[in-house]
Amino acid sequence: MPPGLDNLRHIVVLMMENRSFDHMLGSLTAVDSRIDGITGQLSNPDTNGNQVKPQPLAEFQGQLDPDPDHHFPAVDLQIFGGDTSPARQPNMQGFVKSYFNQQRDVGHSQKIMYYFAQNQLPVLTTLALEFAVFNRWFASIPGPTICNRAFAHYGTSFGRVDMNPIYVNEPFKSIYDRLINATPKHTAKLYYYDTTSSTMEVANLLQNQPELFGTYDQFLQDCASGNVPDYAFIEPNYSDHDTDSGEEVANDQHPDHNIQAGELFIASVYNAIKQNANLWQSTVLLIVYDEHGGIYDHVIPPACTPDQFTASANDTGTGMQFAFDRLGVRVPAILISPWIPKGTVVNRTFDHASIPATITKFFLGDYAPRSPRETSADIFIEANPRAADPGRNLLSLSTMRTDCPDFDI
Amino acid sequence: MTVIHVPKPPQSARNPGRAVSSLLSAQIQHLREAEKNLPLRYRSEKYVNAIKTEGEASEYIRDVTEAIHKGHGEAAAQRVKRALERKRGLEIAAVAERPSPKRRGVAMAKPNATKGGRKR
Repeated sequence: MPPGLDNLRHIVVLMMENRSFDHMLGSLTAVDSRIDGITGQLSNPDTNGNQVKPQPLAEFQGQLDPDPDHHFPAVDLQIFGGDTSPARQPNMQGFVKSYFNQQRDVGHSQKIMYYFAQNQLPVLTTLALEFAVFNRWFASIPGPTICNRAFAHYGTSFGRVDMNPIYVNEPFKSIYDRLINATPKHTAKLYYYDTTSSTMEVANLLQNQPELFGTYDQFLQDCASGNVPDYAFIEPNYSDHDTDSGEEVANDQHPDHNIQAGELFIASVYNAIKQNANLWQSTVLLIVYDEHGGIYDHVIPPACTPDQFTASANDTGTGMQFAFDRLGVRVPAILISPWIPKGTVVNRTFDHASIPATITKFFLGDYAPRSPRETSADIFIEANPRAADPGRNLLSLSTMRTDCPDFDI
Repeated sequence: MTVIHVPKPPQSARNPGRAVSSLLSAQIQHLREAEKNLPLRYRSEKYVNAIKTEGEASEYIRDVTEAIHKGHGEAAAQRVKRALERKRGLEIAAVAERPSPKRRGVAMAKPNATKGGRKR
């Protein structure tokens, strides 16, 4: 097996909030044309019929207020441009129209097309250029946070396309259940930022298995002591709040939270792993966003294997059923390890169901039952026997890199 | 090795008075559902429909998250206590069934005495 995979013991996933690929990483096309970001040919019509081009005018805070609509009907408009005919095709032409619906202000609605210049996001853009950036990582559902995050934990949302509590239908167990009940037993933990921010996985795991949870402080201690579990999922801070130790600023990057606070948080996770040499050589870190948050992206989400669930026309709010047969809008995703060649660009298609699919395959091998969406999702870390295929193994270096960047936070 | 400086957000980035987003509203709703399963003594008694700001939301989220952990912690402690009590009960029963050294001596002495008597 390649040494990077041979050494691999820990997979860490950090899931941020509500930003599209073009918004965060679109500027990188100018640096590396293999990265599928912003080009001069892209535009969206506004409600006056004028074409609005993406511009590098995104601001850290205060620009996307109100929070752009990213519930199912709004995302349907963003992807299909308002066409509701049976023969409609996705065209990514409804973002400005969708944002206009919230304030009826043409000028304000155009801000949904703004993206960040490379130098505004020194952490995310550096990591994308230094390690592996995914050109085709999509949200699992063209809808909001909770159902998309469910795909990362369960490989399905059990038929939900909204923010209501998701109740687990057997037999699809969470990735954490699978790992801790395996023989031999594996370790897994969800680290939420603190109890005041808590978790978005409330309805099931926190209620029933609070021992699976830890705080971000605990993650930092576990990194320092080398006690990171086999699989760790990190949640950012979702709110501005006070604690006994001081004032906390939300770092999830959900509009209208500050983007720089999120950059610091991402750098902190990276540094915590990198500062322990043993952990650094035996860990991969995936940074991914749960969904696009209503913000413009130009890549049409592809069709996918239907899940075994169907959301009713009433549940989708569009007057049409949804069979979970199309992915959501593209999001930023970056895989980090010293065994990944600098400047790797991945063109295969992934979504959040790829997370439990990869973790399961790597640690447990074959496992059933899993949802149709999960079993058909591609995996981002190979396990034997395909590990030897250099076209698929991202941890392909024969010697570990020593030139990886450090962040001064 | 490149060292990249990461700028900090300005002090003005923080605003606990910001209106709750749909995300925090959903989290509150989920915790409200979770709270219904808690013992009465752990429930927050907060009227969640009146929560309007991030600061208020975060207080409720903290209270219920801590209550869930306390509820499970208490149940786990009870489980350990019951297991210890069961173990202690079994030990007492085992000791009660086992003949005491004195009784054992007497019990053993009788046949010996008999045997001895016979021997004698």
